[in-house]
Amino acid sequence: MAKYRAWLGVILALTIAAVVIITQIPTRLGLDLRGGSQLTIQVQPTEAIPTITEREMEAVQTVVEGRVNGLGVSEAVVQQLGNNQLLVQLPGVSDPEQAERVLGGTAQLEFRAQRPGTDQQLAIENQVLQAHLGELAALQASLPDGTAIDAETQARIERLQADIKASETAIAGLFEPSTLGGDKLTDAIARPTGGTLWEVVIQFNNEGGNEFAEISKAIAGTGRTIGIFLDNRLLSAPTVNVQYAETGITGGSAVISGNFTAESARDLEIQLRGGALPLPVEVVENRTVGPTLGRDSIQRSLYAGLAGLALVLVFMVVYYRLPGALADLALIIYALLTWAAFNLLGVTLTLPGIAGFILSIGMAVDANVLIFERTREELRSNKTLYRSVESGFFRAFSSILDGNVTTLISCLALFYFGAGLVKGFALTLGIGVLISMFTALTCTRTLMFLAISLPQFRRPSLFCPGLDTVRPNPVRP
Amino acid sequence: MKLNIIQQRGLWWAISGALVLASLVAMAISWQQFGAPLKPGLDFAGGTRLQLTRACTITDNCGEAIDLAGVRQVLGQQGLDSSSLQVLGDDQQVLSIRTRNLDVDERTTLQSALDEAIGPFDTSSTQIDSVGPVIGQQLLVSGLLALLVSFAGIVAYLSLRFKLDYAVLAILALAHDVAITAGVFAILGLVLGVEVDSLFIVSLLTIVGFSVNDTVVIYDRVRENLKLNPGSHINDIVDSAVNQTLSRSINTSLTTVLPLVAIFIFGGQTLKYFALALIIGFLAGSYSSIFVASSLLALWRERIGQAYSGDPDEAAPQPETQI
Repeated sequence: MAKYRAWLGVILALTIAAVVIITQIPTRLGLDLRGGSQLTIQVQPTEAIPTITEREMEAVQTVVEGRVNGLGVSEAVVQQLGNNQLLVQLPGVSDPEQAERVLGGTAQLEFRAQRPGTDQQLAIENQVLQAHLGELAALQASLPDGTAIDAETQARIERLQADIKASETAIAGLFEPSTLGGDKLTDAIARPTGGTLWEVVIQFNNEGGNEFAEISKAIAGTGRTIGIFLDNRLLSAPTVNVQYAETGITGGSAVISGNFTAESARDLEIQLRGGALPLPVEVVENRTVGPTLGRDSIQRSLYAGLAGLALVLVFMVVYYRLPGALADLALIIYALLTWAAFNLLGVTLTLPGIAGFILSIGMAVDANVLIFERTREELRSNKTLYRSVESGFFRAFSSILDGNVTTLISCLALFYFGAGLVKGFALTLGIGVLISMFTALTCTRTLMFLAISLPQFRRPSLFCPGLDTVRPNPVRP
Repeated sequence: MKLNIIQQRGLWWAISGALVLASLVAMAISWQQFGAPLKPGLDFAGGTRLQLTRACTITDNCGEAIDLAGVRQVLGQQGLDSSSLQVLGDDQQVLSIRTRNLDVDERTTLQSALDEAIGPFDTSSTQIDSVGPVIGQQLLVSGLLALLVSFAGIVAYLSLRFKLDYAVLAILALAHDVAITAGVFAILGLVLGVEVDSLFIVSLLTIVGFSVNDTVVIYDRVRENLKLNPGSHINDIVDSAVNQTLSRSINTSLTTVLPLVAIFIFGGQTLKYFALALIIGFLAGSYSSIFVASSLLALWRERIGQAYSGDPDEAAPQPETQI
């Protein structure tokens, strides 16, 4: 029995840990439950770029990320999907139409000369912009993960967003319009200068080289800058040295140096390359759920599922008596452990995910049913209580294993090939099945053996009704 | 209760055969109507679905049910006559419109026109699903691929743990369950216009997982009985294996179907038909495991001359797995 006491300790410790995890780490809710937009963006090949490679996807992703940041949605996610698609998740987005418009379309990269006499203004506007950006970043960092944002915070974010937009427009107004766009930029490469500093080399085509020479000639030595804009947002504003005042920077190539670290140089490189890509992107899928709608559907389905489970728990006690009650306890432990595992692994719970969870509880019940039915059979064939319970577990094992492995095979196939909601379902069902193997075989087993170690529980009628007359007192093992 | 599986096998096969046949006929009719065995939903066919809810916090806004004629007029003005419409909700205040795939501008125009004619709507309860044709194709292909791969995986695993004939017959039973579930949804599609989406493929895969579980439990018992009684006829072995596991089969179906029935009756819109598909599939799965997979195994063993467990492999003790 010492073995089972030790196991009881382990189970208790795990359960307490699970409760702590559930209260400490919030559950991540999917967009279908908390409201928000999920967009799939497809990158379209053009005549100039007929195949889209990893390098191009990286650049497009950077452009899209920049646009998403411009939307000011906290916890937005941009990730690559397959060879030519991006998945964008915008939790709690208030204006899905605006989001879709901003995210679609080709990137706009421009090199524009600063207007004369705007130095001070530029410095001030820049300071204002940085202050707003800092405030927004701090606000978003302070928000807890995966929870809905209250209306007040939402309004604050939107106000800051509008301020940032205004600053950006003001800054853009300080630069001359230009025809030197991303289509004339052929490449951008970040490279170290020898020390710890980095620089970015940019390369134009013929036409672009000439235009760049003119712009740089006009501002060389004046202290004014060349503004590099991506989607109307200023990326970088380098000055041009006085030695180029005669001819401008010729040869179609230039070096942007300054206080670049390896990381910031690489950022600029990818942004420039993304801006140089004339690849149109199209929103091919939009799934938007209003925040109230999500809340309603989670509540209805959750209550329904819980009501069904309550019935299952009652059934177990009525039909299987003492083992049923112990199995119920094990099921509750199972539910806690699985929930904690979701939070710990950062699984995003979607509505089908909750369905998968509820189904996995069904699987967990099945394992117990198999064991108890087997125990009853052994009792009916006149074995002692201890032996019956023992062989109930032993003989049911291969059925439980085979059944769970086949379900896991389905989960793997779904997870590997499925997308979005389908993946969420497969993940929750799979985690559930794995944990249910543990709880059915360990928790129920431990509780059962500890129970039959107590004399008052050692009556076969508690296990199988109508058996008392056959075997009044079990023999000790 | 004792079931005579083998004795009445003609009856069991007739029931299964009739159900599968009816399913195939329903899918064939559906093919003629929709060009697909099941009515394809938004996920597979592509298109845009808008679900708009009237803002009932505004006085007098929700006085009467949404007037479909008014909605049709708006759609006509936008050149979207062929769209399908539905009014949902307890008070008929929710409008669901399915159109061809609209881009963001067309959609916004439609939304504001509707808002003016029959709104205002509550923007926080709006649902938009817009699926381009590329994505629809992608979802369908990936779903079917997942189904095929899991079939193959299950055959491989069962051949390893049991023998090839068990595995093939188990898959036959699975195909039966999947066909009946699909058949019921083909009929629902023809009669009630129920469409299938990617969740339906998920439900088929779950049915596969669960129903093979049912079959495995019975086959596991057959294997055990063969070992314990090498001299018995396969018919008796199968009969007693099914009856020994019968209360387990019934109880497990009951405990898994109970929460699903609750979700079907009381759950949210999204999961309603998902739960229904699972209920049908699980019931078909239990039936095929108890009545079809078992009797087919007996028939097969008899036909290949192994009615008396002539296979030395099987009579030899299996490697026991320790708990």
